[in-house]
Amino acid sequence: MAPGLAGYIVRRLLWAIPVLFAISVIVFYMLRLAPGDPVDSLLGQRYREEEAALIRKKYGYDQPIHVQYVKYMQHLLQGDLGVSTRHQSFTVSEIIVPKIWVSTRLGLLALAISFFLGISAGIYAALARGTFLDPLTISFWLAIDAVPIFVAVPFLQWLFAVKLDLVGLSWQGFTSPNIILPILILALPGTAGIARFVRASVLGVLREDYVRTARAKGLPERIVVVRHIARNALLPLITIIGLSLPGVAGGSLIVEQLFGIPGIGAESFEAVLAPDFDVILALVLFGSILFVLANILIDILYAVIDPRIRLGAQRG
Amino acid sequence: MSTAVAASDPLAFETAAAAPRRRFIRQLLRKKLAVLAIVYLAIFYACGIFAPLIAPHDPYQQNLTPGATRQGPSAEHWLGTDALGRDLASRVIYAARTTVVFTVVVLISGSLVLGLGLGLLAGYRGGWVDTLIMRVGEVLAGLPTLLLMLAITAAFRTRINDVAFWLQDNTFLGNDARTFVKFSIIVFATVPFAWIGTSRIVRSQALAIREETYVLAAEAMGASSWRIIFRHILPGVLPLFVVGVSAGMAGTAGAEVTLSFLGLGIDPPTASFGSLIAAGAGPQTFERYPHLLLAPAIPVTLFFFAWNLLGDALVDLLEPRTQALR
Repeated sequence: MAPGLAGYIVRRLLWAIPVLFAISVIVFYMLRLAPGDPVDSLLGQRYREEEAALIRKKYGYDQPIHVQYVKYMQHLLQGDLGVSTRHQSFTVSEIIVPKIWVSTRLGLLALAISFFLGISAGIYAALARGTFLDPLTISFWLAIDAVPIFVAVPFLQWLFAVKLDLVGLSWQGFTSPNIILPILILALPGTAGIARFVRASVLGVLREDYVRTARAKGLPERIVVVRHIARNALLPLITIIGLSLPGVAGGSLIVEQLFGIPGIGAESFEAVLAPDFDVILALVLFGSILFVLANILIDILYAVIDPRIRLGAQRG
Repeated sequence: MSTAVAASDPLAFETAAAAPRRRFIRQLLRKKLAVLAIVYLAIFYACGIFAPLIAPHDPYQQNLTPGATRQGPSAEHWLGTDALGRDLASRVIYAARTTVVFTVVVLISGSLVLGLGLGLLAGYRGGWVDTLIMRVGEVLAGLPTLLLMLAITAAFRTRINDVAFWLQDNTFLGNDARTFVKFSIIVFATVPFAWIGTSRIVRSQALAIREETYVLAAEAMGASSWRIIFRHILPGVLPLFVVGVSAGMAGTAGAEVTLSFLGLGIDPPTASFGSLIAAGAGPQTFERYPHLLLAPAIPVTLFFFAWNLLGDALVDLLEPRTQALR
C-alpha cells in the first residue's frame, strides 16, 4: 500500500458523513414538503379525512417534520430502513435488497460488454488515425449513443421478437435467452463514451518515448499495442469504471420498466409515483453512498496501481 | 478579445502545421460532420422557433372519422396521423418547439447563470465562497439524478391542476397556464443538476487565468472585480464553457424527452418527443403503424447525434494531447 493511503481513506470516509447527512436532510424535507402524499395512492382520489388521519398517524406523518426526521435517523442507525406504504407486509430492505441484486448482475454483464466494445473501438480508432476509419468508428458509436433507449427498445423488440421470432419478451431470469435484448440495450449506449476516452488516451500514449523505443527495437506491432500502448492507455479507464458502478447497482429505470425486469430501477419508478417515502429515501441514500464509495475506490486504485501518485502528502 | 487570449487559444494550433493530404482529408471529414451537425441543429432550432409558420396543419386538430386516424404518410399528411387523427408532421414540429424552449431555458438558467456565474465566482473569489459552491456541487453530484428528478416532478404534478387554474384566472397566461406549470416543474427538476459540470470546468480555468500577469496588472491598476471577471477572465473561459455546454446538451434535452416519455414531463395535448414516442412504442404497434414511432424518433435521434458530434469535434479541437498528432 502506498504510504498515507490508510489515513487518506479514513479522511475521505469521515468527509462522506456530513455529505450523506446533508443529502438525507435535503431529500427528507423535500419529500415531506412536496405536495405528493402517500395517502392519495393508498386511498384513491376520494377518501374521508378520518381515514387519512388514521393512516398518517400510523406512519407518523402527522408529526412535525424534524421529529419525523430524528425518528427516521434513529431507526436508520439501527439498520432499520423503515416500512413501505405500498407493500405493507414487507420492510424496505426486504423489498429492495433482492431487486438491487437483480439489477447489479444485469448491470455488470452489460458493463463488461460495453467496456469490451468501447476499448476495442477506441484502440482501433486511435491506431487508424489519419484515415477515414477513425472518425467513422467514433461517429458510429456516437450515433448508437444518440438513439434514446425507449426508441431502441420497441424497435429491437419488434425486430427480434416479432419479426425474427428469436427471443421472447417476458422476463424469465438470467438463464433464459430473453435476457439478450435488455443486456444489449443496456450495454450499447455507454460504448461511445468509453471508445472516445480510450481513443484520446491511446493517442496520448502513442507519442511516448517508450512506444517509439518498442517499435525501434523491432517488436511486432501486436505486442507493442498490447504490452506498451494498451497497458498504459487503459489506466485512466479506472475513473470511468468506478463512476459507472453506482449506475450499475442503481439499475436502468426505463429498460427494467419496458422489459418487466424486477430490478431496482423499476422499483424506484413505482416508489416515486406512489410516493413511498421510506423506499425513495433508502434508494437515494443507497445511490449516494455508492457514489461516494466509488470515488474513494477510484483514488485508492490509482494510488495502488500507479506508484507516482501519493495521496496523503499533497492533498492534506 | 485581448491578444493574450488569442495566444492561449488552442484553436490556433489548427493552422500551424501544413498537414499532408491524408490528414487533411480526415480533418475535413471531421469538420464536415461537425458542419453537418451545425446545419441540422440550425434547421431544428428554426423549426422550433417558427413552428406555427412551418407546420402544415394545426397540431391539436383531431379527426376521429373512420380511416382518418393512424394513417400512413401521404401528400396531405407527410408523416401520417396519430391515434386521434392529428397531423404527425405538425406535432413533430411542435415537439421540436418544446425541445428548443426547454434547452434554451436550461442553457440560460442552468449553464449560463448558475454554471458560468458560480464557476467564475468560485474561481476568482476563492476562499470560503469557492469552498461553499464546490461543496454544494459535490453534494448534488452525489445524488442519483434521474430518481430525484422523477421524485420532484411526480410530487409536484399531483397538485398541478390547482396551480394551473389559479394562474389561468389570475395572470395573463390564460390557456397556456397548464403548459407553463408543467414546463416550470421539469425546469425546476433539471436545473439543480445542470450547473455542476459546467461550473467545475469554468472554475478550474478561471483559477488558472487569475494567476496570469495581465490579470495582476489589471488588479494593480485598480480595475474592479467585475471588470476583471468580464474583460479578462471570461474571454479565456468561454471556449471551454462552449465545449462543456455542447457536450452536455444532448443529456439536457434528453432529460425532458425521458420525463415526457414516462408521463412526468410535458404531456399531451402539448407535443413533446417523449410523449410522441410513447404513443408509438411497443413492438405490436410498431408492426402495424411504424410511422408512429419513426416520425418522432428519427428527428430527435438526429438531434442528439448532432450535439454529440459537435461536442466531440469541439473537444477534439481543444484537446492538445490529440491535437499534437495531426
